[in-house]
Amino acid sequence: MTETEPIVQAHELTKIFPTTEGDEKRAADGVSFNVRPGEIYGLLGPNGAGKTTTLRMIAGLLTPTSGHALLAGYDPRLDRETAKRQLGYLTASTGLYQRLTPRELLNYFGELIGMDRVARLRRIDELIEWLDMKAFSDLRCGGLSTGQKQRTNIARALMGDPPILIMDEPTLGLDVLTNRVVLDFIRAEGARGKAIILSTHYLDDAEVICNRFGLIHDGRIVGEGDLPTLREQTGKRRLSEIFLALCGESEHVLEGGEGVVR
Amino acid sequence: MGRYSRIWTVYRKELIETLRDRRTLMAMVFVPIVLYPVLMLVLVQALSSEKGRQEQREYRVVVPTEAQKQWLEGVLANEDAEVAAWQQQLEALHGSDAVETANTREQLRTRLGSAQIKIAVADDPSHLWDLVRSGLFHAAVITREIDAQSDAARDGNRLVQILYSDTSPLSEVVSGQLNRILSNEAERQIRTRVESLAGSLDVLTPVITSNLSTTSPDRQFAKALALIVPFLLVTMTVTGAMYPAIDLTAGERERGTLETLAVSPVPTGQIVAGKFGVIVTIAMLTTTLNLASMTAVIHYGGIGDIIAAGNAATTDLDAAAAEEALLENPAQPGSMEWLQKDHLQRRQRLELEKAGKATFVAEAVPVVLLSMIPFAVLFGGVMLAVCSFARTFKEAQNYMMPVMMSAIVPAMVVSYMPTIELKGVLTVIPVANIVILMRELFLGNFEASTVALCLISTCFYAAAAVVTAARIYGNESVLFSDVGSYKTLLQRKFLRPAAAPSASFAILLLAVLFPINFYVQSSLGDPMAGWQGLAKPVVVTQLLLFAATPICLAWYMKLDLVNTFSLRMPKPTHLALAVLMGLSVVPVSQVIAKNVLALFGESASLSEFEFLATSMMSMPVVALLLIFAVLPGICEEFAFRGFLQSGLRSSMGAGRAALLVGLIFGLYHIQLIKIPTTGILGIFLALVCWRTGSLLPGIIIHICNNGLGTLAAWMSENQSDTRLLDLYGMVDTLDVPAAGITLRDAIFLTIFLAALTLIWITSKPEAEPQAASSTPLAAAQ
Repeated sequence: MTETEPIVQAHELTKIFPTTEGDEKRAADGVSFNVRPGEIYGLLGPNGAGKTTTLRMIAGLLTPTSGHALLAGYDPRLDRETAKRQLGYLTASTGLYQRLTPRELLNYFGELIGMDRVARLRRIDELIEWLDMKAFSDLRCGGLSTGQKQRTNIARALMGDPPILIMDEPTLGLDVLTNRVVLDFIRAEGARGKAIILSTHYLDDAEVICNRFGLIHDGRIVGEGDLPTLREQTGKRRLSEIFLALCGESEHVLEGGEGVVR
Repeated sequence: MGRYSRIWTVYRKELIETLRDRRTLMAMVFVPIVLYPVLMLVLVQALSSEKGRQEQREYRVVVPTEAQKQWLEGVLANEDAEVAAWQQQLEALHGSDAVETANTREQLRTRLGSAQIKIAVADDPSHLWDLVRSGLFHAAVITREIDAQSDAARDGNRLVQILYSDTSPLSEVVSGQLNRILSNEAERQIRTRVESLAGSLDVLTPVITSNLSTTSPDRQFAKALALIVPFLLVTMTVTGAMYPAIDLTAGERERGTLETLAVSPVPTGQIVAGKFGVIVTIAMLTTTLNLASMTAVIHYGGIGDIIAAGNAATTDLDAAAAEEALLENPAQPGSMEWLQKDHLQRRQRLELEKAGKATFVAEAVPVVLLSMIPFAVLFGGVMLAVCSFARTFKEAQNYMMPVMMSAIVPAMVVSYMPTIELKGVLTVIPVANIVILMRELFLGNFEASTVALCLISTCFYAAAAVVTAARIYGNESVLFSDVGSYKTLLQRKFLRPAAAPSASFAILLLAVLFPINFYVQSSLGDPMAGWQGLAKPVVVTQLLLFAATPICLAWYMKLDLVNTFSLRMPKPTHLALAVLMGLSVVPVSQVIAKNVLALFGESASLSEFEFLATSMMSMPVVALLLIFAVLPGICEEFAFRGFLQSGLRSSMGAGRAALLVGLIFGLYHIQLIKIPTTGILGIFLALVCWRTGSLLPGIIIHICNNGLGTLAAWMSENQSDTRLLDLYGMVDTLDVPAAGITLRDAIFLTIFLAALTLIWITSKPEAEPQAASSTPLAAAQ
């Protein structure tokens, strides 16, 4: 991989929430990593490890308790608009406007980004073509299937052709076919030079498409690097084994309990 | 692309989406266009059929004897004959279509005649009570001729007793009707008696009055509408705004689209502005449709006739006859007779010109719609702010209830008080001002400046609401439901320590305390109970509201008590200067007060000492000073110069905070005339607290202000010792002191200001620690 300047920089991101049980919860604790253009960075970890919180801080949706993130050099809390223009954001929970059609929805987000009419129409046609959305592009989103909705959602995130993509569980609950479409798409976008941060529970998928991994556990990065580096670090071959070794081990060290993952 | 073009983008998209929603369409289109006229028509039908039923209904009346039955039947027959004659006379006078006879006609129609009252004779007169009570008969009538052998004047007079039942509406109706019929009978007999004595009935009408309204009949109709329509429209507008307000905020959050909007490169303010525009648009569309539908119903549905009938002027037969005579006789211009005749003719012309009622409504519609815009703007903003706080649709719906009440209740109250005018404070009271404005617009009387004030203040409130909405909207704990609940915002264990309360919280606390203070003062105060009655509310409000509440809150919120209440020891020099200010403060406040009075031309006495003079002078002097000087001096300082000032300081700078503290302190002294004086003193106290960094100097000055004046009055009242009074140049009368500044005042004023200046020069206010809202965790650890 060519060594370019990182376009996403997460620097010591820490987020502390007060919890209903009384004390505070460190959802993220000094998380630092960089992602370069063309890289697909897999942010992996068990449930509640702090992946989503970290991604939300990078996207500027949450204010870090300390630390900061930079998107193409802009801090999303300080240069909100410029930073957010660099970003496509997609999660399992992001919804669609039920009473708009995918075409109208894409047009709306295109307008919000500030694209002019011609550019919008061209981009919408492009995305509909790429994501194979022709069949449902003029139906209301409320009536679409889960897979169709997720494709629309991906199209929305890609509308402004942003250099950075944050994808939090983009394949959750999708059938094999749509799963395939989404992964191919991520790979293609990576190949086109985008910096992609992918968070997923499907380790086999991650192993195939990500160039580099950050394993996060209990709010902390417990292992980082490409597959060979991680293999060397843990002596395991498969990503799932590496995951178990790192996350299980650290749990052992931290809590003295059994290493349960997922 | 313009900087604010996103507002338009958001607006357009939200409008399209809202209009595609079946639920919105139901509330907006279906209700006014379909349901509403149907309801109105059903109402009209019900009303007229009820009237019809009343006409056909039989009322059963029981009498004890056959003779009494005959007498009552005779009375009823007389009544029937009179009604028939009257009807004929009316028609002959005016022709059958005359508007002003409608009411008289209506009255004639609702009169019960002999056809409807069935009279029966009781088998046993002793059962009359039970017959009515059991409901078998609607009323019983017992009459007795007065034995008038001893008194010729009472010859032929009768006593009538009517038994009825309060719980039966029919019984009430028939007893009311019987009363009227009997008093008509009495009147007929009076006429007969007078005629036989005086030879003519004209002696009975020494004064004949006829009322002419200079307003055209459709304006009178407008008056009736002006009472109902604003209320209806307010309700409709609020209902229209409610659904989009919930859907565009809480609904969007619930469906997960808010997150996508939050990552788009658009400022929150522009998103909120676009949504706000949609809410106002939908509210106005709903209002327009309602108004259109209402107009149509009034025009075609017969409701107009009912309202018009209730509103039309009654014309007395005698007056009508007199008017006819006036119109027929030619008269010389310039004579009084001519003047009256001219007025009559003008009135008739008015009625001819505006024969149709709907024309006015058509004229009023645009005006009323215009006046609804500020209202829609205000409630659009308020609802947006309130809904932004909710995470789910259901939660938002719960929040809407009080918001709707706050719109509907004032509208209702104003509807019931037709004489309220748009004046003074009312022009700036939200909701109420708009409702009254709407009525005034409807009636066509208003002043441009008042209208402007109404609109400006409303726009100001709406802007405040929208800004609040924008702030709440972007808040992360509202954006993601998994980021802690509101519990974490309220429970003490989750609160982070802070140096001072936030400005908004400090203002909120004082805003909440204001009405409580007012109610405690007025409910506990008992002037009849001597000085204890006056002292009790002061002690309660001072200790509980001004001292305990802020202190407990500051503890609960883990605020830095030393910083919040400025609990630092001042420099000795500052302390000494504060004592100097304290000693000279009484004449200073007198100067302010008397000049303010002169400025406002208020005749009421200003001084607290007048109030004191009455029953407080009987108090032991120690208690007097403790309760009215020391207690307020300490407690009020804690609330105002402590909690409020430290909160304001953190967000707006010490200078502006001091001004605002003074203003709020002034507003707390409910009497309008005290506001400037206490306000200015409040500013001085705030400045002293800020510059010295301590609450103590302010407490000293405050206690001196309240205490020395009181003491002076007490000494002169109880010991005839006027030395202190004379020293301060106070007048021991209830008269308003003359405006201006005496030499003595000037000296004290100079001392006071010099001391303040010295404090100012010799102090260096410390850097402001960070406020509660923005304490970073890193700093806290």
